[in-house]
Amino acid sequence: MRQLAQLLKAGEISSQELVQRCLEQISKTDGEINAFITVDEQGALEQAAQSDERRAKGQTLSPWDGIPVAIKDNISTLGLRTTCGSRFLRNYRPVYDATVVERLQGAGLPILGKTNLDEFAMGSSTEYSAFGVTKNPYDTSRVAGGSSGGSAAAVAAGQAPWALGTDTGGSIRQPASFCGVVGLKPTYGRVSRYGVVALAPSLDQVGPMARTVEDAAILFSLIAGADPRDATSTGSPPFALPRWDPEVVRGLRVGVPEEFFSSGLHAEVEGAVRRALRRLEEQGAVLQPISLAGNEYAIDTYLTLVTAEASSCLARFDGVRYGERVPAADSNTMFAKSRGAGFGPEVKRRIMLGTYVLSASHYEAYYEQAQRVRTLIKLEVARAFEQVDVLITPTTPSTAFRIGEKRNPLEMYLSDLYTATANLSGVCALSLPCGWDSQGLPIGLQIMGNHFQEELVFQVARVVEASVERGAKGAV
Amino acid sequence: MQYDVVIGLEIHVALLTDSKFLCSCSTAFGAPPNTQCCPVCLGLPGALPVVNEKAVEYAVKAGLALNCQVHHFSRFDRKNYFYPDLPKAYQITQDTYPLCTNGCLEYYVDDQLQRTAITRLHLEEEAGKLIHSGSSIVDSEYSLVDYNRAGIPLIEIVTAPDITSPRQARLFLEQLRLVMRYIGVSDVKMEEGSLRCDANISLKPQGSPILGTKVEIKNLNSFRALERALEYEVSRQSMVLDRGGKIKQESRTWDERAGKTLPMRSKGDAPDYRYFPEPDLPPLLLDPLWVEQIRASLPELPLERLARLEREYGLSRYEATFLVNYPDFGELFLELAVPGGDNTAVINLLMGEYAGLAREHGHLEPRRIAELLRIVDEGLITHGQSKAVLEELFHSVLSPREIVRAKGWEVLRDEGQLRAAIRQVLADHPEILARYRAGEEKLWGFFMGQVMRAVEGKADPKLVNRLLTEELGSLI
Amino acid sequence: MIEREDVLRMARLARLELSEEEIELYLRDLNNFLASGRKLQRVDVSGIEGTSHAVAVNQVLRSDVVGESLPREAVLEAGPDVVDGYFKVPRIVEGQE
Repeated sequence: MRQLAQLLKAGEISSQELVQRCLEQISKTDGEINAFITVDEQGALEQAAQSDERRAKGQTLSPWDGIPVAIKDNISTLGLRTTCGSRFLRNYRPVYDATVVERLQGAGLPILGKTNLDEFAMGSSTEYSAFGVTKNPYDTSRVAGGSSGGSAAAVAAGQAPWALGTDTGGSIRQPASFCGVVGLKPTYGRVSRYGVVALAPSLDQVGPMARTVEDAAILFSLIAGADPRDATSTGSPPFALPRWDPEVVRGLRVGVPEEFFSSGLHAEVEGAVRRALRRLEEQGAVLQPISLAGNEYAIDTYLTLVTAEASSCLARFDGVRYGERVPAADSNTMFAKSRGAGFGPEVKRRIMLGTYVLSASHYEAYYEQAQRVRTLIKLEVARAFEQVDVLITPTTPSTAFRIGEKRNPLEMYLSDLYTATANLSGVCALSLPCGWDSQGLPIGLQIMGNHFQEELVFQVARVVEASVERGAKGAV
Repeated sequence: MQYDVVIGLEIHVALLTDSKFLCSCSTAFGAPPNTQCCPVCLGLPGALPVVNEKAVEYAVKAGLALNCQVHHFSRFDRKNYFYPDLPKAYQITQDTYPLCTNGCLEYYVDDQLQRTAITRLHLEEEAGKLIHSGSSIVDSEYSLVDYNRAGIPLIEIVTAPDITSPRQARLFLEQLRLVMRYIGVSDVKMEEGSLRCDANISLKPQGSPILGTKVEIKNLNSFRALERALEYEVSRQSMVLDRGGKIKQESRTWDERAGKTLPMRSKGDAPDYRYFPEPDLPPLLLDPLWVEQIRASLPELPLERLARLEREYGLSRYEATFLVNYPDFGELFLELAVPGGDNTAVINLLMGEYAGLAREHGHLEPRRIAELLRIVDEGLITHGQSKAVLEELFHSVLSPREIVRAKGWEVLRDEGQLRAAIRQVLADHPEILARYRAGEEKLWGFFMGQVMRAVEGKADPKLVNRLLTEELGSLI
Repeated sequence: MIEREDVLRMARLARLELSEEEIELYLRDLNNFLASGRKLQRVDVSGIEGTSHAVAVNQVLRSDVVGESLPREAVLEAGPDVVDGYFKVPRIVEGQE
């Protein structure tokens, strides 16, 4: 991104040209990949023109003014259709911007469009989108991952230099891993959720997705910070772009949790991650085996909590004030028909489950129990960070699976095996590519840092990045 | 069979903040529909709540005025249910850890001081307003929703089932309303919906320790309705129990026109609200110092004032109650009266002639009233004339002395003039004079009346009395 | 073990109209999940409080200042059925929580 910024500054390229190139790439490849639900050609070019004008007057809003960005379609954009990948909202146009969108526009970034996602961010493959699956640019018979599959694919396919995604149980990191890009789930509370359609408020975070660690850090710096409209957001400590220092790795205590290298892990993924770990060791890191026994319960805990919160958050979609209403003679029937018709099977499944675990007779045994196990997991992670500086694991047990392969929902949930813990404990976690498997599919490595340790995580990621062979697809 | 009546009340008070509970929309009453809404109170996808500090302050104030224990830790929960006036399909309330518990309110019932325990007081948000196309919800083909009121801060106050008669329930509610007005947290107008009350009532055999089946009564729109509905229930439930029947646990609605409670149409299960902690709001942590500051800012409460007025101003219970129930009169009295002094004239004026006039025209400045009292005391005008002067004060900016001067209403003290008037009256009514002299002594009153008429009431009755007696005496 | 009745009750509570196939599907899915989810019940959580907020955040209270509301057209814009400035909804049947 620094190069792009340089080019823009030097006048060798204009924002309009940048946007134009993205639009061309989208036009060329998205028929197949289907990363975008809505491409705002006119809007993006207008915003780019405004950026060029500002640059001409020497009034740029930031060094990144004019570099276009793609936004996951569960983040509200004023006047620009925001569907959340759902039939229910297929014609919904927000009357306000999410805070993160305001911040990006405040930095001068034109918005290319809204990217595809599993419906209401529920899923790990983007197969649950009402607008069709997003295909993996590396192999279009395979998924791009989810739920931020569209954002990951758009970046990987060179359609957008960077994008925003959301992560509740792994939804930024897993698609980043499948598509060979960098994705960060920030510390809970570091990025405002105002305007982000909630899936599970105690787990959701908005995060950057980009081709390099530095780009992800830059995008993160533009969105991080407290928002008075989000009572769960915090601005302290503030995030500052790190001065890159490979020396950070010397003496770095790297925890390697054995539970994340379990039997379900594919050999090639393990191989690539361990090679990356060895390279870190060669540069002075101290690897420490560590146990996070609580990870055994992470998925079940996560599912209990995410479905409970989602069942409540999605209740507002009743067809009274917005969305696709199916008319009926009485209100209750109207609600049931509208929701029945507008929601896909995975959404309904999770609402049903969430309703069950919250219902009076089951609340204690399921929801409350999960809350308490969550505390145990959190405490365990906190204890781990007393002994180590970062935790490094594979991002997912496998590389991208085939479209249609995971028929059983429970199987799909296992994609989050290594990622859900970070959401449950609120710590930050980043995924970056660390190699390819024998079929040329990207392998993702995850770096977890304690609360508010994004700077350290980025530093370590940059070192790992430097030591891996590069081969990104479709550079702009 | 004699029954004990057991009543508990559930009261909602709308707080008088300028902005709503969880967003900054205005709370002003009477605006055109849907003109005081924003993404938050509309429940738009992605919107988030942020708590209004003043709402918390007012809730704490109310809790302190009701002698509650104010908890430094309390928490928000979601109460999930579908209804067109509930934008998020859940209400943000406090279920598990309310703001206040264990309070009480004291009030007089027929000169007996009663105390009703208050189980809890907590913060929650108001729903929107429904207008039904038919005369009631059950015979309306459709309804219209206005979200202006959605999100207004409420406190819910729940009493223990301590109340033992419908009349007592009414008096409790009246006292509660008075307290809320005194501390200035609400304008508690049942007709505007800023005070609402539901009641629970059960009967048990006299002296029995076992409580009967509770019936909930809703749709009580006035104090009178509260009392009447409970009286009706006592009667209805007694009749059922007398003939050996069982009371059905249900919600009944008060039908004002029919003068009876009717079962509300319900289908099947009791509601399952699936309460769980509100993830979008951190727990409410109060600074004990702040709570103490609020306590220190409490004004004199009704019961305290009642006692003080009786004790320090020599007022009767009846007089003191009037001043307490109408705090504007109470404030006025306190400005005009003298502690430890004789305040008969002041209270008689305020409760007498002044009350009706003030209600129609608004209050006078205290100094003008004080001057009126003074000139009567001085004898500038008679007590009988003071009414005319008082009335004039409401229509003029002149002081009482100026009015008397302008109207020529000074009391006639010239004995010569008075004797002349008396002699004229006696000369004008020779037949009556003859009857008087013959022994009909009560005709003295007739002469008195005639003389006062002749001088247009502008004579001191005592003086006229003396002179008339003398004149009549001198004729004998 | 979840029964068909439970599925129907959940669907009612959540206002979801389900087809017969969907009822069968979710009955199966819910039972599968819960079988796996019951593992959690064996975890010893004595003395442990639940976590409702991942990261402890300082109190954020808003001062009581009136801000701008949305213009009415914006409020009503996405409304599927709007009449005279109100949102219109069909007959409301009580007591069906």
